Amino acid sequence: MNTTDREAILSRVRGALAPLPRRAPLPDWETELIHMRTRRGDVDAWALFQERLRLVNGLPLEGAASLVTWLEQNGWTRGYCDPELWPRLQAAFPATFTVETTFDRGRVDDYQFGITRAAGAVAETGTLILTDGATSSRLAALAPWVHIAVLQRAQIHVDLQSAVTSLADDSNIVFCTGPSKTADVEGILIEGVHGPGQQVALLLE
Amino acid sequence: MKFQQIDQFAAGLRKETRASVYDGSKKGYDARTKTLFDHFEDPDRLRRVAGEIKQHVVENLDTYLPQVEAKLRANGVIVHWAATAEAANQAVLSIMRARNAKKMVKAKTMVSEETELAHFLEKEGIECVETDLGEFIIQIDGDHPSHIVKPIIHKNRREIATSFEKHGLGAYNDDPQTITRRARAHLRNKYLEADVGLTGANFISAESGRLVLVTNEGNSRFCLAATKCHIAMVGIEKILPRDRDLALLLNLLARSGTGQQLTVYTEFISGPKSPAQPDGPEEMHVILVDNGRTDVLASDCRDILRCIRCGACLNVCPVYRQASGHAYRSVYPGPVGAVLSPLLAGKKFPELADLPKASTLCGACNEVCPVNIPIPDLLLRLRNKGKLEKSEAAAAATPPMGGWAVMASQPAAWKFALIGGKIIDHLPHKFIPVPALQAWTGKRTLPDWKGGEFRKWMKNRPRPNPALDTPENTR
Amino acid sequence: MFGIALWSLTGRVVRISVMLNHDPLRPSGKRVQLMATCLCDAFYDDVARATVEVLEYLGCTVEFPEGQTCCGQPAFNGGDWVASRKVVRHTVKTFAGDAPVVVPSGSCAAMMFHGALLEFEKENDLPEVEALGRRTWELGDYIFNGLGVKTWPGRYDAKIAFHRSCHSRGTNSGPAIVALLGSIEGLTVIPFGEGEQCCGFGGTFSVAFPHVSASMGDLKLDHIQAVNPDLLVSLDMSCMMHLAGLAEKEGRPIKTRHFAQVLRDSLKNAGLL
Ligand code: SF4
Repeated sequence: MNTTDREAILSRVRGALAPLPRRAPLPDWETELIHMRTRRGDVDAWALFQERLRLVNGLPLEGAASLVTWLEQNGWTRGYCDPELWPRLQAAFPATFTVETTFDRGRVDDYQFGITRAAGAVAETGTLILTDGATSSRLAALAPWVHIAVLQRAQIHVDLQSAVTSLADDSNIVFCTGPSKTADVEGILIEGVHGPGQQVALLLE
Repeated sequence: MKFQQIDQFAAGLRKETRASVYDGSKKGYDARTKTLFDHFEDPDRLRRVAGEIKQHVVENLDTYLPQVEAKLRANGVIVHWAATAEAANQAVLSIMRARNAKKMVKAKTMVSEETELAHFLEKEGIECVETDLGEFIIQIDGDHPSHIVKPIIHKNRREIATSFEKHGLGAYNDDPQTITRRARAHLRNKYLEADVGLTGANFISAESGRLVLVTNEGNSRFCLAATKCHIAMVGIEKILPRDRDLALLLNLLARSGTGQQLTVYTEFISGPKSPAQPDGPEEMHVILVDNGRTDVLASDCRDILRCIRCGACLNVCPVYRQASGHAYRSVYPGPVGAVLSPLLAGKKFPELADLPKASTLCGACNEVCPVNIPIPDLLLRLRNKGKLEKSEAAAAATPPMGGWAVMASQPAAWKFALIGGKIIDHLPHKFIPVPALQAWTGKRTLPDWKGGEFRKWMKNRPRPNPALDTPENTR
Repeated sequence: MFGIALWSLTGRVVRISVMLNHDPLRPSGKRVQLMATCLCDAFYDDVARATVEVLEYLGCTVEFPEGQTCCGQPAFNGGDWVASRKVVRHTVKTFAGDAPVVVPSGSCAAMMFHGALLEFEKENDLPEVEALGRRTWELGDYIFNGLGVKTWPGRYDAKIAFHRSCHSRGTNSGPAIVALLGSIEGLTVIPFGEGEQCCGFGGTFSVAFPHVSASMGDLKLDHIQAVNPDLLVSLDMSCMMHLAGLAEKEGRPIKTRHFAQVLRDSLKNAGLL
């Protein structure tokens, strides 16, 4: 570490601020300030979450059976599943599926889907919250075309404020709002740039 | 010089490029307005509060910087300080060398654009791959970004398809979907082969030491899933006091920049990966970069350090829309660049002192800025600075004002000029050797000279003007 | 405005949003001083005349300080603050007293209550400049908010496009003038595309950046002429001079008026003047 640069920067900062007769105070702000107009406190969080997830082109599903049907419809039969989740899901998956519970980074493109656990969700924005603690493999939740995050009702925050102020004690928390996307080329929306082209939230109680 | 450099650049801009830039920025602005006003009762109050929070940080960096450093260390992050661009690049290089690392994947960061990190590393024999789609295209083209959020706003799909073909990324195909898929396939291997992932940070919370990164493509997430070492290059002004302030700023950032509620990936990073996690960095470094920021802090334009690089002021700026980002000859174009670039240039300020002139001072940038920076005021201060430092770039095509000021502070001379100005109606304009008049009449006609007419009317009209201080007229 | 004085004395950046807020403390009596603007002095005599006639119709006593020249804005915007301060000092001297100063221009008004304060931040005579700024009103703001006149009598048969000049961004002038114009019998204010966009004039910008300036103006004209108004009306003749000059040069002339002329003619049409 360069201690001289540290001292140089800090002393320049102090020098620059010294002539100020007073410093701008830190304003307080009430949470209502960022309440969305469309906020509906009374509504069921899962219902709101589903609506908002669809707006960002994500897909909400309920129950393992509906997931399997959807995967079959799309011809996605090779994937990865979090080893802790697999015992609960296995029964719903027919033998036509090949599901691995360790993710081999040498074959990232062999996996059409990856199933991992969500650590939470934000209803208002249709956001899934992923953490190191809940995600069995960062790559498995990112590299396959389809990512399925398994969620429970009790994990859903109403709004961003509540989610941001109760961040887990985890070194890597990701708010995922829909599939990976870009509009770099002529402003045209394309999904599935580096990450998933399909983002699923699977409600499993 | 006949005209200002940015004007000359704009005049020579290809029609296609101008159309791409215009459409792209207008789309961005329209989306911003719609989401902000659809979603919030009083978006302007959000902007004002956000601005106050960031101004507070800027004016208290002496407290916040050591605080952030301590938090980062406690979180297991190795902290570096870099006073200059060279120092920042060297810090990256020495981390790479210590790990014997040869390959880097990097996400989009404006600081690394400032320090020209990718070029520097390439020269040192290190492969450094830009992973943001736009930046990747810029990199293979040897081009420069022209927008801080949409780096290839100036390019159309045909140009991109051509350069993909040229660089062995498949036969010509200008379908944006195909372009994106090809980049996906190509970059995937780069992530998996890389030793180090480099990102910037949009915010750092002084309360928790969390770095916040926002992307849409998921490239920074991929950098942090595939590599074993994470380096974040962060400008010293990126701090927010509390975690809850992150919520406020995040509510504004994506809405202002792209009209989204939230970007697709918003990452809160506070250290190396958790022990049980198989993927991701075991080591994390944060390089706190000055590179001219303390000079800005010492100037009367320190408010620009509030900037969260959302790009809204570029999108709304009518000059940016006509001139494009490359006209600004620097990393930061548009209104924010017109303030920041000349200041960051340090001793080379006079060379970029024309940038603050590229504005009609219409104020649209201030109106959209999520941290409410009074950009027009800052531009004016820099114009004055450019004049005081006798910048030639700034003086170009600007009519000298000294003589005018003498006249305009002496009523007799003024009245004389009002009568004498009549001559303008009688001489063909092209024979009057005044550059400003030439520039005006090159594009527009001039109204008839009516110098002194109003004064005559006011004095001679039938209804005399009662004396101002007669008692019945006082209120 | 007291807020502003405080900010600027402490050497901090003055925020535009603070600056441009309507100040209820501004004097609003009916003895007014007219700041005619250099543009009206040189080119648009009828705008200044209309301003006087409108003000007098409202019962004001209008004084015209003969020594007035220019507000100092050209040099201020051009970066030559030394030259500009010279002119501002002259203006402060010329407009002595405590009567409201009324200006038929959003741009010159903003120069007095915002721009000048910026360039006098570190000068000893800042308080005098601030005092003048506190007394300065843009004409429409003065009529609507200062005198409380919310509707306009008379008649004016026209479909007009209103260009709200940029220097009135964030002030009360735009809404005030639109309300006044909209209340005139026979008159319709028609919206047009990208109404918030700058016309591209920008003072010295128009001659230092003629290409960008003209492209911006063309865009504005395209939008305005697309809705085919009878008249283009504004509160700033500088924008009008640029747009009308551009339109004429390009062979697509457009009729422009200052809103004071429209107010005055509305009275005349109904025999009220
Ligand atoms: S100056 Fe304001 S509007 Fe412009 S990029 Fe920075 S934060 Fe965004």
